Amino acid sequence: MEKKKITFKINGVEKTVEVAPNKTLLWLIREELKLKGTKKACERGDCGLCTVLLNGEPVKSCLVLAVEVDGSEIVTVEGLSRDGELTELQKAFIEHGALQCGFCTPAFLIVGHWLINRNPRPSKEEVVEALNGLLCRCTGYRPIIEAILSVSKAKK
Amino acid sequence: MLPKLEYSSPKTLEELFEVLEKYQEKAKILAGGTDLLVSLRDRVEKARHLVDIKKIKELDRLEYRKGEGLIIGATVTLRRILESQLIREKYPVLWEAVKTIGDVILKNRATLVGNICNASPAADSAPALLVLEANVRIVSKEGSREVPIDKFFTGVKKTILRSGEVVKEVVVPEPPSNSFGRYLKMMRVWSEDLAIVGVAGLGYREGRELRVRLAYSSVAPTPLRIREAEEAFTRDGTMEERIERAVQVASQRVSPISDVRGSAEYRLNLVKVLTRRLLKQMVEVV
Repeated sequence: MEKKKITFKINGVEKTVEVAPNKTLLWLIREELKLKGTKKACERGDCGLCTVLLNGEPVKSCLVLAVEVDGSEIVTVEGLSRDGELTELQKAFIEHGALQCGFCTPAFLIVGHWLINRNPRPSKEEVVEALNGLLCRCTGYRPIIEAILSVSKAKK
Repeated sequence: MLPKLEYSSPKTLEELFEVLEKYQEKAKILAGGTDLLVSLRDRVEKARHLVDIKKIKELDRLEYRKGEGLIIGATVTLRRILESQLIREKYPVLWEAVKTIGDVILKNRATLVGNICNASPAADSAPALLVLEANVRIVSKEGSREVPIDKFFTGVKKTILRSGEVVKEVVVPEPPSNSFGRYLKMMRVWSEDLAIVGVAGLGYREGRELRVRLAYSSVAPTPLRIREAEEAFTRDGTMEERIERAVQVASQRVSPISDVRGSAEYRLNLVKVLTRRLLKQMVEVV
């Protein structure tokens, strides 16, 4: 299986790597680049926990081939904070107790940031809809939704 | 783990045809990948050369032309369809059906053409395209052909596409004027699931007469338009009699199976309930 050379930006840093065509973007992030914030769970697009931003839009990285991201820009949960300072949304997750085991948290943060960026004041329904591809099995969704809404209100 | 794969990403249709000719049935088209990568992982899909078509500019078309209708290219994502106010207003049945496919994140990748080429009996866009009488534009090295959507599906996960052929776009003609379209979908959970049963309806006036078109997902080996039920509705009688006749005919024409989402008996009952609900709405609105 012939490897392909791809160049992309991840969390602002340009990288060039060689990957086999059967490797996913999720594999690239976790195994090649050792960024373990992005989680691997169902690997069939159901749980959404591997969600990252690809050219600014959320995608489930288990359903994207690494070779497809040549020339693209990727943001993972590690790329959200700036200079060690948590984002407003990250702080809101802590304040609202919007996590328990934490396994799904990176995906919810990624989608939460995406939503707030494109729609600074989403309604509750819009938040719920944006999150409907992500599964959380411990907190329930209420504190997560409240954390996202609190940031949207703070931006008034 | 995905099986061993080769990958290419042609930039033109001509390059695409060359790859398809070289690899024949070993090649498979990759657009959004949301169905294909799962099938590869499960070893259901045997193809081992993926041809990514997202760099082919010609396939990216989403446009409406008065008279001709709506053209949806092979790489147009469900997200782009949902964001089109024109589609929402002019083709509400299609907009509603697309809205129910997958979730917000998947819609950034998944394509409408992929939804029909995957040819699942549960493809939500298919009943909508059936009642809108869409056509599928197929291209190959030899030329092109246009096939009505009701001739496109041949079985579970099977279409009329031959080796070397690719769906370039779907063309959705102008709906009848003042028509009313709806897609009703029953799921196990309200947010995201395949249909237990889905019903698309289009109602319009021919002179003073109310006409309807009905098509279904998840009730047969392929998405299914049931013209006999449409005709049963058209004949004489009170509105209630006409609706019940259509409901009976529709329930006789489907052949649902039992699976993890519901039993055959439950599906059959849902066909009746949803058909009745849809027809009542049409009688009120159109």
